[in-house]
Amino acid sequence: MDNTIRIPKIRLGSREFDLFYIWFAVLSLGFAYGVVGAYQVLRYGLQVTGLTDQVPWGLWISIDLSSIALGGSAFVFGVIVYLLRLKRFEVVGRLAVLLGFLGYSTASLVLLFDLGQPLRFWHPAVFWQSHSLLWEITMCVILYLGILIAELLPIILEHPVFSEHTLIKNNNFFKKVSDFLRKLSHLLHKAGPALAVIGLSLSLLHQASLGATYGVLSGRGLWFSPTAPILFVTSAMGGGTALLFILSVFVFRVMRPGLVTDKTLYDVARIAGGMMLLCTYIRLWDWAVTNYYSFDNIVATQKELLNTIAPYSLAFWIGQILFSLIPGALLLSSKRVRNFKILTLAAVGPVICAIILRWTYNFSGLIASITYDPFTPSVQLNSYLPTWPEWAVGIGVISYWLLGFSLAARFLPFHSKEGSH
Amino acid sequence: MTDENKNTNKTGLPRKGFLAVAGSATGALIMLQAYKPTKASRNPSGAEPGAHKWGMVIDINLCIGCNYCTYACQAVNDLPVEMKYNKVTLEETKTGAEFYLSRPCMQCEHPPCVHVCPVGATFVRDDGIVTMDYDLCIGCRYCTVACPYDARVFNWKKHVEPNAFTPEYGHPEVERRPRGVMEKCNFCEHRIDSGLARGLVPGIDAAATPACVDVCPTGARVFGDLNNSESPVSKILASTKTPIRLREDLSTEPKVYYIPPQAEVTTSSEEEL
Repeated sequence: MDNTIRIPKIRLGSREFDLFYIWFAVLSLGFAYGVVGAYQVLRYGLQVTGLTDQVPWGLWISIDLSSIALGGSAFVFGVIVYLLRLKRFEVVGRLAVLLGFLGYSTASLVLLFDLGQPLRFWHPAVFWQSHSLLWEITMCVILYLGILIAELLPIILEHPVFSEHTLIKNNNFFKKVSDFLRKLSHLLHKAGPALAVIGLSLSLLHQASLGATYGVLSGRGLWFSPTAPILFVTSAMGGGTALLFILSVFVFRVMRPGLVTDKTLYDVARIAGGMMLLCTYIRLWDWAVTNYYSFDNIVATQKELLNTIAPYSLAFWIGQILFSLIPGALLLSSKRVRNFKILTLAAVGPVICAIILRWTYNFSGLIASITYDPFTPSVQLNSYLPTWPEWAVGIGVISYWLLGFSLAARFLPFHSKEGSH
Repeated sequence: MTDENKNTNKTGLPRKGFLAVAGSATGALIMLQAYKPTKASRNPSGAEPGAHKWGMVIDINLCIGCNYCTYACQAVNDLPVEMKYNKVTLEETKTGAEFYLSRPCMQCEHPPCVHVCPVGATFVRDDGIVTMDYDLCIGCRYCTVACPYDARVFNWKKHVEPNAFTPEYGHPEVERRPRGVMEKCNFCEHRIDSGLARGLVPGIDAAATPACVDVCPTGARVFGDLNNSESPVSKILASTKTPIRLREDLSTEPKVYYIPPQAEVTTSSEEEL
C-alpha cells in the first residue's frame, strides 16, 4: 500500500495500546450477546418478544428502517461517481458503497428474526403479490443487496492478499482462483455505470416505499399521508450522506491523511446539508397540512394521547430544528465554517433526525390506534416494551455493523489502483 | 486484430451468458406466478365465480354479551384461550347508552390486509370470504398493521395445550396452525365448503353455518348468501331501515352488517326531524 494508515491509539503512561483490538473485543462481545438473543428467538419463537397483535412491529423494524436509511449514501454517490463522473469523489464513493452494504445487510439480518417463519424469507421472491409495498421493498432490497455486493467485491479484491500472497505464487490452484477473481473484478468494475443506474432506481423505489408502507394505511389516522414516501427518501439521502461525512472524516482525515482533499469532504457535507434542509422544508409543509389545512379530530386525539406518554410533539420540533435545520444550515455552508470538529458534530444531527423520523413513524400509529366502534370512535393507547432478547438481537446486529465498518476502516483498500488508470 | 477479437469474446461471452441466465430465471419466476403449489384454493366448492356472496347480519339489540360466539369459535377453530377471532366489547352510543359489539372478521370487499400481503398468503375467495394460506404466510404481520378492525391474530407461540372450550362449546374441526403464521376468522369456510358439497344451505342448515351463528342463544347473528334474495340474511337486511357497517369511511365495504341499537336509531331520526 502506498498510503500509511494511522491507527488510533491510547496512551497509558509510557505504554501505547492499539485501540482497534480493544474496540474489536467489545464489539465481539456485543455480537455474542446478539447470538444468545437470536437463539432464544429462533428456538422459542416471537413469544419471547414484547410484541402483541396490537403492536406487532417494534424495535427490530425501527432498527431495520434506520439502517436502510443510513445506507442511503450508496446510491447518491453511485450516481455522483459513475454517472456525473466526478472523479474526486471516487474514494468517498467506495466508503459509501461499504456503508450501503452494511446498512442493507444489517436490515436483512434483523428482518430475518422479525419474521414468524424465518425459513420462508425467500417466499416474496417466488410468490409475487405485486400490489404489496412490502413485496416491492423485499424485491428491491434483495436486488439492491446483490448490486451492492457487485460494487463492493472489486474493492475488497483489490486488497494485496488476493494477488500478492505467497500461496498464490507457489500454488497453481490459488493462482487460478486469483486470476478468476481479477477478471471478475474487472468485469464488475466495467459494469459500474449500469449498476449505478439500476441501484438508483431500486433505491428511490424502496426508500420511498418504506414511507408508503405506513402512508397507505388509511385505518391508522396519523400514518395516512402522501408525504411519507418523499420524507423517507430525502431524510435517507440527507442522513445517509451525513453519516458518510462523519465516517469519511474519521477514515480519511484521521486514518489516511492526504487521500481525500478537504474540498471534497466539504462537498460531501454540503450534499448532506442540502438534502436535510429539503427534507425539513417538506416536513414543515406536512406538519402544516395535518395540523392546519385538514384538521382531523382523530389525528388530533392521537397526537394528544401520544404527548401524554411521550414527548411526541417535542420530538418533532427538536428533531426538525435542533437536529435538522441548524445542522443542515451549518453543513450547507461548510466552506465558510471550515472547521471539521464543528462540521462533524453538526453531521450527527441529520443522522439522529433520520432515525427519529422512522422511530416515531413506526410507533405512533401502533401505540395510538383508532377503535372501530360505530358511534363513538376513539383512540386507545397500546403499550410495548422490548424484552431482553429483542435488545440482544438489536445490539448484536448493530455490533455486526460496527464490526464490518471497523474491519473495513483498517483493511479495505480505499485507494483505487484500477481507478487511476 | 486477433487480440481485439479475443477481447470481445472475453467480455462479450460472459455478459451474454449472464443475460441468458438472468432472463430465463426471471421468466421462470413470472411463469410460476400462474401456478401456485399450495393447498388453498380460491374456489373450493367449484361453484361459478360470484354465485355466492356470504355475509352476516348482527343485531346489536339482541346481543347480550355472553361471549358464546367467541368460545364456540375458539372450540371449532381450535384456538388457544388468548387468541380470539371474535371479540365482544362494551361500547356506547352518542347518547351514552351501552351496548355489546361483537365483531368477527368483516370479510371486506376491499380488504386492506389482502392488498398489503407481500406473498399473497391472504386472499379473497370467489365467494367473497377473506381467508389464509398458512403454507405461504411468512409472518411479517403487515396485515395486522393494516387491518382497521383488529381482526387478525398471530401465532406468537406453538399451540400445545388442550382446547379449553371442548366439549362445552364444540369440537375442533380444523388442523392446528404452526407457530409464526397469521390467522383470522374465515366464516368457518370448512363448514360452508363441506356443507355445499353435501347439498346443505349455509345459513339454514346448522352443519354448513359458522359456529358463532349456531351457538348464539338470542339469534343475534344471521348468516347467508347476500346474492340470494331469499336467504335469511338478505331478508333481514331488506327489512332493516338503517343497517350499518363498521368504519365505512375507509371504503373497505364489509360484508358484516349491524342492526344499530334502538336508542341510536331514535336519536338519529329525531335529529333528522
